[in-house]
Amino acid sequence: MTRVRLSRWLLAIPMTLLALATIYPLLFTVNVAMKTRRDYILDRFALTDALRWDNISTAWNSVGMDRYFLNSLIVVTSSVVLLLLLGSMAGFALSQLRFRGSSALFLGCLAGLFVPFQVIMVPLARIMADTALIDTYPGLVLVFVAQFLPFTVFLMTSYYKTIPREVIDAARIDGNSVYGVYRRIMLPLGTPALLSVGILNALFCWNDVLMSLVMMPSAEHRTLMVGVTSLRGQYSDDIPTFASGVLIAAIPVLVVYLFLQRQIADGVAAGSTKG
Amino acid sequence: MKQRALWSAVLVVGLATAGCGSASDTGSSSGGSTDKLVVWDWKSGEPSAKAYIEKAKADFSAKHPDVTVEFVAQPFDQYYTLLGAAIQSGKGPDVMLFNGGGQIRDRVDALVPLDDYVAEDKQRLAGWDAFTKDGKTYAGPVTLQGHPIYYNKDLYAKAGLDPASPATTWDKFLADCAAIGKVGAKCFALGNKEGAGIQFWLSALGSGVLTAQEYDDWIAGKRDWNSPNVKRVFQLWKDAGDAGLNNDGANSTAMFNDAFALFQSAKAAHVIGLMSDVGHWKDFNEFLTPDKLGVMSAPVVTAGTTPSLAYDGGIGYAVAKWTSDPKLAADLVRSLTSTEALQAFYAEAGAIASDTTIDVSQAGPAAATIVGQLKGGKPALHVALSSKTLDLMGRVSQQLLSGSISVDEAVKQLAASDQAG
Amino acid sequence: MPIGNVQPSVRPVSSGRTDADPVAAEATGRHRGTRPRRSRGGARAERFAPYVLVAPAILIIVVLRLYPLLLGVNFSFTGDGERNGTVVGIDNYLELLDDSLFRTALGNVGLLVLLLPVAVAIPGLLATFIYLRVPGHRFYRSVYFFPAVLSPVIVGAIFNLLLAFDGPVNAVLGAVGIGPVDWLGDPDVAMFVVVGVHIWATFGMALVVFLAGFATLDSALLDAARVDGASLLQVIRHVIIPGLSRTIAFVAVTTMVGMLTSMFGLLYVMTSGGPEGSTYLPEYYIWIQQGQMNRPALASAASTVLFVIMLVVGLLQVKLLRRAGGED
Repeated sequence: MTRVRLSRWLLAIPMTLLALATIYPLLFTVNVAMKTRRDYILDRFALTDALRWDNISTAWNSVGMDRYFLNSLIVVTSSVVLLLLLGSMAGFALSQLRFRGSSALFLGCLAGLFVPFQVIMVPLARIMADTALIDTYPGLVLVFVAQFLPFTVFLMTSYYKTIPREVIDAARIDGNSVYGVYRRIMLPLGTPALLSVGILNALFCWNDVLMSLVMMPSAEHRTLMVGVTSLRGQYSDDIPTFASGVLIAAIPVLVVYLFLQRQIADGVAAGSTKG
Repeated sequence: MKQRALWSAVLVVGLATAGCGSASDTGSSSGGSTDKLVVWDWKSGEPSAKAYIEKAKADFSAKHPDVTVEFVAQPFDQYYTLLGAAIQSGKGPDVMLFNGGGQIRDRVDALVPLDDYVAEDKQRLAGWDAFTKDGKTYAGPVTLQGHPIYYNKDLYAKAGLDPASPATTWDKFLADCAAIGKVGAKCFALGNKEGAGIQFWLSALGSGVLTAQEYDDWIAGKRDWNSPNVKRVFQLWKDAGDAGLNNDGANSTAMFNDAFALFQSAKAAHVIGLMSDVGHWKDFNEFLTPDKLGVMSAPVVTAGTTPSLAYDGGIGYAVAKWTSDPKLAADLVRSLTSTEALQAFYAEAGAIASDTTIDVSQAGPAAATIVGQLKGGKPALHVALSSKTLDLMGRVSQQLLSGSISVDEAVKQLAASDQAG
Repeated sequence: MPIGNVQPSVRPVSSGRTDADPVAAEATGRHRGTRPRRSRGGARAERFAPYVLVAPAILIIVVLRLYPLLLGVNFSFTGDGERNGTVVGIDNYLELLDDSLFRTALGNVGLLVLLLPVAVAIPGLLATFIYLRVPGHRFYRSVYFFPAVLSPVIVGAIFNLLLAFDGPVNAVLGAVGIGPVDWLGDPDVAMFVVVGVHIWATFGMALVVFLAGFATLDSALLDAARVDGASLLQVIRHVIIPGLSRTIAFVAVTTMVGMLTSMFGLLYVMTSGGPEGSTYLPEYYIWIQQGQMNRPALASAASTVLFVIMLVVGLLQVKLLRRAGGED
């Protein structure tokens, strides 16, 4: 027992070093965001001499970030809710129900995972333009859902496969329809997976630049990351302002993660005490 | 219990989303209409371009009060990808910004020739050639872009050199570099990570190496890659690297803006910079102070050559062919190149504007020198090359610095690429 | 593959029931242990239920991904520039084969596949340690996700500074007597550096997936192994890897997709494909051809090749890991 404990403490050393290495860039970014452009160029690593919030307010005010922020919030939350709903429905059917063509359908979903956005960018833009969905919230939401649904279905399918069939059979005997099983059993049991895939999808959608750029050409509907990225001109000139934009964009994701990771951890803990 | 809390959270988010969605979905943009023009660029988001855009907008709305103009600043790294998608689907902005040279010439199929609309501006503005293909002009030039050789007068003085008279021959220049090396500074700040270093090198020094005839032939498309002088440009590049004139790790140093930062922090005495945008006299003035910043002509390598400043049209606005009223869009381009707007761009961003009537006497000696050299200037050598050859040249130049290729082999590859394109 | 059954139940849906306690349902399922009887016939709706559940997802994927993919592949057989819109057969593909840059990009894909086990093992091991409650596990769980929220542009910019020739990393190496390494300027080193930074920047996401996977692991097995005095390595090998085979397959596939389709930002900032073209990946090649060279059809051909590579490597991985996990 003591041997195990010692080895755990030994493991903690490299893990702490890694943790420091992951915190450092964030601190670095905060530090840069506080600097003037001149200070940054003369010495990038030195600590800022003052807590300057000008860069953050410049980043926020110069290009209508509040508007972009709202756009991102609308598009990302809608996409994630839709992704989790459709992903868990399909995942449940593909993992637990036997029906004709299920293997083919699963492979179809899987194939979607391997389509690089670049190859479909132009045709997709044309489809969206023809259906008048380009430059609308539902349009970008659909593109996001299509992009990340294969991943979501895949994860939910693997996760739901681990749920013993007896659970479902029991629920069926209790008189639940297939939909009832989905709603009353699969959704609650899928919580840890739904939370983690939700976090990842939120992060992917939130950080996306290319899809948002192509699907939302007008400034009015632009998302936050596109706004932040366009702070950097041709020659990545003003790094402190850009770093401020990056921080503005990162904070919501960090908050969501720190808030939700407890739920994931609870899911993990619940899973580990189940047996 | 936990589940219920989660579901109510999801529900709240969902409702909030629905609420926001319906509240803020205020009609989509009006594509192809005559009362609105959409402009794409990568400049209008920058604080230093604010005054410029405002002046241009004011100028335009004085002529067309009923038309609204929307500027959409796009991220530069995806700008041409995005533009490509717009061109292929035939839907995009009415007016768009281009870099001069290959980027616009490759895409003229999607643009309206502007010659009839901008005839009045032809005299006032310089830099048209970079936006011209087969005798037709496709954009109004906003800035001039070129490659002056900047030097740090302070370091010159420290090394016991005369800051007022930089070297005019290559041999003298090498001697000066040796002196500068003794006081702990590098001769050149070089960033060749993007392969841009060699482009700047070729254009900044070319006029001191190629004869006037060779230079003009090169620009006209008759490029003799086997000529000893062309090879010498690349040989000098390699020699400078081998002799340690550049900062360490030039192949992993970004031109933008790590190499410029080396010059700005006086770790190197020279840098081949830009005239507009960044890495230019205004940036350097800020760090070195205007009176410590010098601009020198290319040292003469081949006897009998007359060094000249290399410059072209930098950026310019073009009109898409799918716009509903080309005349209206061309008027916007004219507003974007009006003297008043360009004056503001020069003052705020330090751009050397295409309008040569702008007074730059307040900008310090470096800017004055540059503007003074514009008259005798010639188009930059690298701008005449295709995007593909430039891309190859970047890679080959890195190999030259690392020693994994000979000058002969490098020139051979470039010749093949140039002739294929 | 799918287990379970959709044979409709004879029992009518009880209308009075509005909520079910999942834990209780699960408990009954566990304790019953026997398969319930199946009955034939019943409501038609039940038979279509699986299709209804799958339909929206399939519809979106087919209309917005697979159909445009077909159009894109079709586009790759047309020409660029002068030959815009005309059918050129496989010319674009021949040009790709002939381009040494594209060949470098493909070679680097091979390298990524070789490095994939490392990219999967790192978050897997870290998740294992966190699951086994290493001192400070809550803290690690929180901070390991941090890099994932930063834009690749910022991550790239920071590592540019750290790894610069005269940067702090080389200064440390110099202090212990090792000569400086041109991390991003040496063609033999740069690709490994970029992949390393990419792994560092994204392992937090894989960690999240692994942690969710541990929720499905039967901890009774783990406890049994502990009682038997199994070492950490044995536990990992005989309990965790088989138990998490699906999660590992999933992380492997998504990590590979990530390496092949989302390293653009890092490449753009850290190396611009260089030095000497050594860090080209298909994705970067596509970006160059589409954006900088104005060769959309050639870019489509390169994208199609990328799609085929991803499909083949991905399906192989799923198969291999399935076999290793000893299922199906």
